[in-house]
Amino acid sequence: MNELEKTRREMARVLCAPGRHPDRSFSVSRRTFLQRSLATGALGGAAAYGWLPLINVLDIRVAAAAEAFRFAWISDSHLYPREVNERFVEKTVLAVEDVKAMDPPADFLIYGGDLAQLGAPDELRLGSEILKELDIRQVLIPGEHDWYLDLGKLWMELFGEPNSTFDHKGVRFVALDTISRCPDYWSATNMSPEERMGHMATLDGTVAGAWAGIGNDQLKWLQDLLADWPKDQPVVLFSHNPLYEYYPPWNFWVRDWRPLHEILAPFQNVTNLHGHTHQPLYNEVGSMRSIGMLATAWPWPYAPEGVPALTQPMVRVDPGDHFDGVGWDEITFTADARVENRYVMWPRKPEEVLATASDDSGTGDNRNQKLRRRIADRMWPY
Amino acid sequence: MRSKRLLSLLAATTGAAVLTVVGLGLGPGGQQALAHKEPHIPEELKAFEDVFTEQVILGDLLFHGDTEAQQELGVSLSDTGMACAMCHPDGSDVHPHEFPKYQQQMQEFATLRDMINWCIEKPNQGTKIDSDSPAMKALEAYIYWSNSGSMLDPGRH
Repeated sequence: MNELEKTRREMARVLCAPGRHPDRSFSVSRRTFLQRSLATGALGGAAAYGWLPLINVLDIRVAAAAEAFRFAWISDSHLYPREVNERFVEKTVLAVEDVKAMDPPADFLIYGGDLAQLGAPDELRLGSEILKELDIRQVLIPGEHDWYLDLGKLWMELFGEPNSTFDHKGVRFVALDTISRCPDYWSATNMSPEERMGHMATLDGTVAGAWAGIGNDQLKWLQDLLADWPKDQPVVLFSHNPLYEYYPPWNFWVRDWRPLHEILAPFQNVTNLHGHTHQPLYNEVGSMRSIGMLATAWPWPYAPEGVPALTQPMVRVDPGDHFDGVGWDEITFTADARVENRYVMWPRKPEEVLATASDDSGTGDNRNQKLRRRIADRMWPY
Repeated sequence: MRSKRLLSLLAATTGAAVLTVVGLGLGPGGQQALAHKEPHIPEELKAFEDVFTEQVILGDLLFHGDTEAQQELGVSLSDTGMACAMCHPDGSDVHPHEFPKYQQQMQEFATLRDMINWCIEKPNQGTKIDSDSPAMKALEAYIYWSNSGSMLDPGRH
């Protein structure tokens, strides 16, 4: 059994004990699935996914009646300077225009990290200018691409602290920083800031290692701010990385998931929205639901292993269409206390975002694929 | 240090490295060499492996957008800051084991090299490379190496 499998099994043992699950007052609608089944006249290709929750119509009933509101999520724009990559700029602007056009308007925007590609001042300032077009409240968290050129200096000048919290209409929102606590891999080899950033900006890089984490100081902060929050009231966590172990080699996890879930365990209604993975994901870990959001820049492929069994993968996207597989998310708390997450993938209707057959899915596409990790970045030049 | 190492790799791509193993059974470029007439010695096997590994490393660098490697080989694989690995970390989702096959976006029966060039030209907006060029061979070496546990499944869409 390899180390990855050991970690995965440990997490399942610790967090997914029999009978433990998110509060059943959370209900998941199967509306879209039923509509699709009726439309096609048979379960057919949908049968493979028929039992799974459909995350583009995820309905969560909160314990207390909620006041209706909506918010939007944009993340992973990976902006280069405009002259290097106009497409990334174009899609970020489009997402902002979409959010601006929401009627009724979104109460706030969450920007989930990786605004810049290489953390450069012109990239971060470009992103800041684009986001200024929105006149609604904005809550930002950093991604690793924003941070490791100057260790977050400019990001914090532009956007403030990397973590924050606020209450909104009966829900406690917490924006977590999962990127800034990477162990120092640069000092011993005298890396330049650009070299440090380069390793961090390479998803399949092996030099930066398991950089995603919350850190003891932030765990204490989280524990304190949840201390007086009623256990049956909703908590929504925003993070750049997923808060469970999906695929550590690409930092599709946080390394200190165990103490985090110990803090969250008493709460019945916990939802995590995360970026970094650039793909629709759904998982339940202990009492927490987790939803992976779209990027605006490009979609990552699903990892070769570890995709949560509860995930209905997105469709195979068209690599010739740079608007396919990307977009933003609209999240609605309805008046009857439900939550709906809608993937806005520009070239596709909402019901076309998630695959209904293996041949058309982003995971089914990887049949017979077995990978080995790269070695060149360890061999050279260090 | 890096440039010296790169020159060594590039020497392998141009055939110069063959000179270092000629005494182990490899002939210089263009000359028919005898093969498998004598049992292989460990040094010979190691030399064969080194030739391959160096191509894998060079291909890895190209796949991850290394500017210096592209300049040395005279190729421009992207004009957008995109690198192959940004959509294909660890060579995932390339599916080299499925080629040759009908490729929908090209609307033709395609090889892996055809697909590499399509990606260079379309998503990356770079400049296509010669199908038999050193850069193409190195990219192919890295892609096959990174997928070396995959099961051959040619023709599958």
